[in-house]
Amino acid sequence: MGKMDRWPERATLNRRAFLIGTGATGLLLGYSAMRTGPHEAKALGAGSFEPTVWYTIAPDGKVTVVCGKAEMGQHVSSAMAQIVADELEADWRKVAVVFPTNDPKFNDPLLGAQITGGSWSVRMNFDPMSRAGAAGRVTLVKAGAEIMGVPEAECFAQNSQVIHGKSGKRIGYGPIVGSGKADRTWTPDELKAIKLKPASQYKLIGQSVPQLDVPAKTDGTAAFGIDAAVPDMLYGKPVVPPVRYGATVKSVDDSAARKVPGFVKVVVLDDKTATITGWLVVVARSYPAAKAAAEALKVEWDKGPNAAVSDETIIREAKRLQLDPSAGQFFVKAGDPGAAVAGAAKVVEAEYFTSINIHAALEPMNALAEQKDGHWHIYTGNQFATRTGGIAAAALGVDPKTVVVHQHYLGGGFGRRLDADMVIPAVLAAKDVGKPVKVIYAREDDMQMDFTRPLTYQKVRAGLDGDGRLVGLEHDVVCAWPTARWGIPEFLTPSVDKKGALDSFVVNGADFWYTVPNHQVRAVLNEVAQRATPSGQLRSVAPGWTFWAVESLIDELAAAAGKDPVDFRLALLDGAGANAVGAKRLANALRTAVGRSGYGALALPKGQGIGVACVSSQERATATWTACAAQVDVEPDSGAFKVNRLTIAMDVGTAVNPDGVRAQIEGSVLWGLSLALYEHATLEGGALQVANFDSYTPLRMSQVPDIDISIIANGEPPSGCGEPGVTVVAPAIANAIFRAAGARVRSLPITPETVKAAIKA
Amino acid sequence: MVMLSVNGQARQVEVADDTPLLWVIREQLGMTGTKFGCGAGLCGACTIHLDGEAVRSCQTSVVDAAGKQVTTIEGLGAKEPHVLQTAWIAEQVPQCGYCQSGQIMQAAALLARNDNPTREEVVAHMDGNLCRCMTYARIQRAIMRAAGELRAQKGA
Ligand code: FES
Ligand code: FES
Repeated sequence: MGKMDRWPERATLNRRAFLIGTGATGLLLGYSAMRTGPHEAKALGAGSFEPTVWYTIAPDGKVTVVCGKAEMGQHVSSAMAQIVADELEADWRKVAVVFPTNDPKFNDPLLGAQITGGSWSVRMNFDPMSRAGAAGRVTLVKAGAEIMGVPEAECFAQNSQVIHGKSGKRIGYGPIVGSGKADRTWTPDELKAIKLKPASQYKLIGQSVPQLDVPAKTDGTAAFGIDAAVPDMLYGKPVVPPVRYGATVKSVDDSAARKVPGFVKVVVLDDKTATITGWLVVVARSYPAAKAAAEALKVEWDKGPNAAVSDETIIREAKRLQLDPSAGQFFVKAGDPGAAVAGAAKVVEAEYFTSINIHAALEPMNALAEQKDGHWHIYTGNQFATRTGGIAAAALGVDPKTVVVHQHYLGGGFGRRLDADMVIPAVLAAKDVGKPVKVIYAREDDMQMDFTRPLTYQKVRAGLDGDGRLVGLEHDVVCAWPTARWGIPEFLTPSVDKKGALDSFVVNGADFWYTVPNHQVRAVLNEVAQRATPSGQLRSVAPGWTFWAVESLIDELAAAAGKDPVDFRLALLDGAGANAVGAKRLANALRTAVGRSGYGALALPKGQGIGVACVSSQERATATWTACAAQVDVEPDSGAFKVNRLTIAMDVGTAVNPDGVRAQIEGSVLWGLSLALYEHATLEGGALQVANFDSYTPLRMSQVPDIDISIIANGEPPSGCGEPGVTVVAPAIANAIFRAAGARVRSLPITPETVKAAIKA
Repeated sequence: MVMLSVNGQARQVEVADDTPLLWVIREQLGMTGTKFGCGAGLCGACTIHLDGEAVRSCQTSVVDAAGKQVTTIEGLGAKEPHVLQTAWIAEQVPQCGYCQSGQIMQAAALLARNDNPTREEVVAHMDGNLCRCMTYARIQRAIMRAAGELRAQKGA
């Protein structure tokens, strides 16, 4: 089995390593030097470093895959290595993974940046990484045949060896690389022409090989950003303002802080990127000293323009915007929903809410910044190294090319580490004191300054015809727009009514696979929320709220039509037109979960019910077909309820590592449960009312229900599995509560109080 | 100055008496396997052993550790992998991995006094250790596997 290096990015690679990479110019193969860090790169000379290098083979046969994706527990590093190694015919025991810096040469071949999110990684990199592996194999077979003096056509590769079938002669990849004969450049067309293996010949893909990052995560040796250290390093503790965004520092009294032993300096941050406002950093010789000095600091703030914003004002503004027909942009517009609903036999209207939620990754945000040799080095774990390096450069006012982001393991990502705020206090403090500074957020800083899942308000109006068929649906989604905040036009989507660009990451999922002849989805930006609570991408993003509304509504419609909610869904999943194939895959996932749950077949005691939901999270173009049947027990007097069992079915096409897929489903489903029942942040006076794990309370071991998971791998290309589970659980639970107690809850999180209120209603 | 015994070695540190042991281990001793998660005794990421008992190092003053045996994740399997570490790999428990040193240290204290815990005992003992990646089912399975392994070793 391969092994993950403790300091992945610093692993030394042999100078005479066999390089392979894909880039704009195609795949490059040949001898070159792989830089092991910025200092080494300089020593080697600029000409010896080749772009976009996805793996190297050393003369000792070691295959080192460069994983351009952040490793945050989704085991993407193993998956990438498996994909490369399968086509390369590499011996898995000789495979290791390293992580690159933010050098653009390591950008995602499809996305053009180093970014990890959207459950995109395996789906989007499967083909390029397979071709990279295959190109290496073809080159090695040719070179191996030449060395052995046998015809290339009679040779094949297996287990890191080139074998001549007739004579039984063989030569290992290591010696071939050592000979210098493996040398070829591939054009994009040549790459495209490579015939990849059929699924039946996969050796590693589809196998639950042990994850490469696991051993180092059982003995304390895995290096996270917070563990980084350089000589002469000082420690920084942020001091954050009493509002989430918009404050300015009026005055600072550090007389008491100065008396704390180890105190170095207070730095008031002037962030030119406006990512953070009103922050200071206390720098000291140890973190406890920085913390003690921060507590002794007296700061006066001007709380700025958002100091009166609360959940209530955000909701009031959302409702006002929803009533304004000129607000927002259309994401979906098919047929004439207004007329269809107006002419419907039955109309169902409903409002759905989801609360503010925070990421609360267990490793608090942190970054170490060091200026050295004309470069700024940043040591941290990050999901968007490209942008993070750019933000650091902008905050410092330096050329982005001089900022090197050194990737580390992420102690939880969940979308939080797509943001770059943590590098700003580190670089500004380091610049100010002229020494390396490692800034670590206290848990309270981390929670209060989270880039949150926004509070969402959704209004739906749907019409049923006389036969109980869904003929029209109007769906409005009003919230802050997390992705628009980045200011990267490529991440926005043109609206269907040509009214400018919209943030599709607030409405994805609402363009579902049900066949509804008249259907519109409108995305409306809530500016009040956008200004007061800079929002972020929280695991599953939009499908985490759009499916809450859609899958609750579908159940409400089934009830209004007097139909069984499973039958009602299956009828809508007819696969007509643009919904071909996908709708049927979703129907199959639904049938699988429903069947395994005992739905309709079990005689449940009074107060119990099974509810269902099915989703095509994440985006329509990147759907993973997922269904959940939740069995709950509701106590009608108090509203107290218990989730007994969650039955999940997920069609992932191809499971590159089935156990890894299962682990992602296990985690994401419990995330879905945690968001549905236990996690709730509120905004009051412009401040997030959270502090630590006693006020924001993700699910613990005692709250884990029985979970039954079915993975459907039908040979279609792989799709993402880290997020869909988050989206499907809440509506399934709400629908189960309805079946158990006749109570309809429309707000997340669901609590005994909201259930009790719904029972009374 | 405080004298400590960490993973069987005598260590001497120049810090204030009330410094949380967590930061002494991480910063002064340079052992980073013990993690900072909340600083308030609410997550368990910083769990170590003091004379074999699982404690939160963020809530323990360095001076209170003087004269006691401090064991960290680095010391747990120093000679050979602890049965829990082997079980953790067999069950492929870690996701991001950040909580796992604390989970293993917490579980090791349980197995040291009870090699046949019930599911309820495991849950009660582990409930203070947060896993944000929600690897709870695998943690439970790994503890049960390790307990079985321990019993087999003793029976042998
Ligand atoms: S860091 Fe000590 S319990 Fe969380
Ligand atoms: S594995 Fe990530 S917090 Fe437990």
